[in-house]
Amino acid sequence: MSEDGAGPAGSHRTEAQAGARKTALAVRGLSVSYGNVVAVHDATFTVAEGDACAITGPNGNGKSSILMGVTGMVRRKGGVEIFGRPAPNGDVGWAARHGLTLVPERRQLYPELSATDNIILGCYSWTRSIGKARRSASFGRAIDLFPELKPHLKQAAGTLSGGQQQMVAIARGLASDPKILAVDEPCLGLAEAVARRVYDVLASIHEQGTTLIVVEEAPKRALTLCNARVEVRNGVAGAAVAGAA
Amino acid sequence: MKFGNLLIAGLVTGSIYAVFAVCVSVWYRVSNILNLAVGDFAMVGALGVDNLYRVKGMPLPAAIATTLVVVAIFAFAYDRVVLRLAQDGPRRMEGIVVTFFFTFALSFFIDGVAKMLFGTDVHAAPALWSGQALTWASLHLERAGLLVLACAIMIGGAFWLYIRYTLGGKALEACGENAIGARIAGIDTRRYRWLIFVATAVIAAIFGIVESPITGYTYLSGATISLTGFLAAAYGGFRKPGRALVAGLFIGILEAMIGGYVSAQYGDTVLYAILAALVLTWPRGLGFESAVSG
Repeated sequence: MSEDGAGPAGSHRTEAQAGARKTALAVRGLSVSYGNVVAVHDATFTVAEGDACAITGPNGNGKSSILMGVTGMVRRKGGVEIFGRPAPNGDVGWAARHGLTLVPERRQLYPELSATDNIILGCYSWTRSIGKARRSASFGRAIDLFPELKPHLKQAAGTLSGGQQQMVAIARGLASDPKILAVDEPCLGLAEAVARRVYDVLASIHEQGTTLIVVEEAPKRALTLCNARVEVRNGVAGAAVAGAA
Repeated sequence: MKFGNLLIAGLVTGSIYAVFAVCVSVWYRVSNILNLAVGDFAMVGALGVDNLYRVKGMPLPAAIATTLVVVAIFAFAYDRVVLRLAQDGPRRMEGIVVTFFFTFALSFFIDGVAKMLFGTDVHAAPALWSGQALTWASLHLERAGLLVLACAIMIGGAFWLYIRYTLGGKALEACGENAIGARIAGIDTRRYRWLIFVATAVIAAIFGIVESPITGYTYLSGATISLTGFLAAAYGGFRKPGRALVAGLFIGILEAMIGGYVSAQYGDTVLYAILAALVLTWPRGLGFESAVSG
C-alpha cells in the first residue's frame, strides 16, 4: 500500500447527491489502519446506482485504503452496505458475489498465467465451471471490450506492456459481472495516449450501466468521466479531531 | 532384452521420483513453500501400515484407513497451527529461506516420532498385489512395480488435467502467482493451501504404502525420498506437475540406462553430470527460467 506512511485522512465530503436513485454503496464511519498507522479515518459517503464516482485527493491520503477497506481486502471499522445489504468485514468473495469488484492498484495480475486465464479467473466469484465461465456474457463482454488484447490473449500476462496489463486487470474485473466496478489508479505509470484509451473504456463500461468508483490522483482526468466526487484530504484540524467531517 | 528390462526398472524408479515431484510442485504452486516433509509422509504411510498390520494385528484395510486418516489429521493440524500462524498472520513469512524451515522442521519432527513408534529397522507395508513377477518374453515386471507406475501416472495426470482444464485448477495457480490478486478474484487462498497440503500428504502416504515392498523403509527414508522428488520437481520449475511427472520418469530411465550400459559404479556421477549439463544448456526449456521473471 502506498498509503502506509500516511497520516489520518481527515475530511471526506460528497459533492453530487444521489437524488432519487437507488444507493449502490453506502459507507459509514469507515476506518482502516495498518498497525498503528491510521490510513482512513471515519469516512462516510454513498454512491448512487449508475453514478461514476471519483475518489480524489493527494497521494498518501488513504484513497486506495478506502477501496481496500470497502471491498474487504483489509480489515476495517465501520459499516459498508452494498445495495442495502451489510457487507461482512474482510470477505472479498462476498463483495464480488454481491456486485462489487475491485480492479486494484498495480493491477495484481498472475504474471505467468496467460491473459485469458487471468481474465477468466474473474468468473471465479460466481462459478467453478470453466465451460460456463467461457460461455458467459460477462467474460465475452470483457474480451470484446479490448480488441487490442486479442493477439496477446495467449501470452503470459507478465510479458504484456503496462497498458495491456491494465486492460487485462479491468477485463478480469468485468468478468466477475460487477454492478459496481471500483478501479484504483487505472492510469498509474501509463503513457498519456494509453491513459486516454483506458478512460474511454471506463466511460463505455459506465454507459453500459455499471456503477463506477475511480480512485484518481489527478482530479481533472477523473472529472472528465465522473459525475460525483469524494474528496479525501489530510485536513489539518480534521486529522486530530475524531469524527471530523 | 537388456534394454527392455532396464527401461522397466527405470520407469519404476522414475515413478517414485515422479510422484514426489508432482506432490512438491503442486503444493509449491499454491503456497510458494517447498514441502521437504513429503517423503516423511510416505514413510509414515508405509511404516504405519506395517506397524498396525504386523505388530498390532489389525486387518489390512483397517490398518491402511487408520494410517491415512492419521496422516490427514496431522497434516491439517500442522497447517492450522504452524502454517496459518506463519502465513496468515499480520507479518507474513516469505522467501524461500524462511519458509524452507517450516517443512524442514516438520520433516525432523516426523522422523523423531517415527523412530519412537516404529524403531530403527527396515520394514515395509505388505504387498497389496502379491505373486510372481509378470513375465512377457524375457521382460520382467514386479507386480508392485506396475502398481507404482500406475499410481504415478494417475496422480501426475490428474493434477495436470486439473490445473490445465478446470477453473479450480487455475485458481490454484493464481494463489501461488499472486496471493493478493487471487483474493481479489474471490479465491480463498488459505483453503487451497490446506486442501492441497493435506491431499499431497495423503497421496504421499498412499504411495509409500504401495511402493515400500520394493525398497523397504526406515524412519530415515523420508528425507532421501523428498530429495529425489525435488530433483525431478526442479526440472518442472517446481510449478508444473505434468512436467515434473515426465522429468521424474526420464531421470529414472536415464539412471537405469547409465547403470546398465555405462557404469554401475559411477552411475550417479554420470547421471548428475548429464542433468547439470541439461540445466546449463537449456534452462528455459526445462523451466529453470521463466519468460516473465527472466
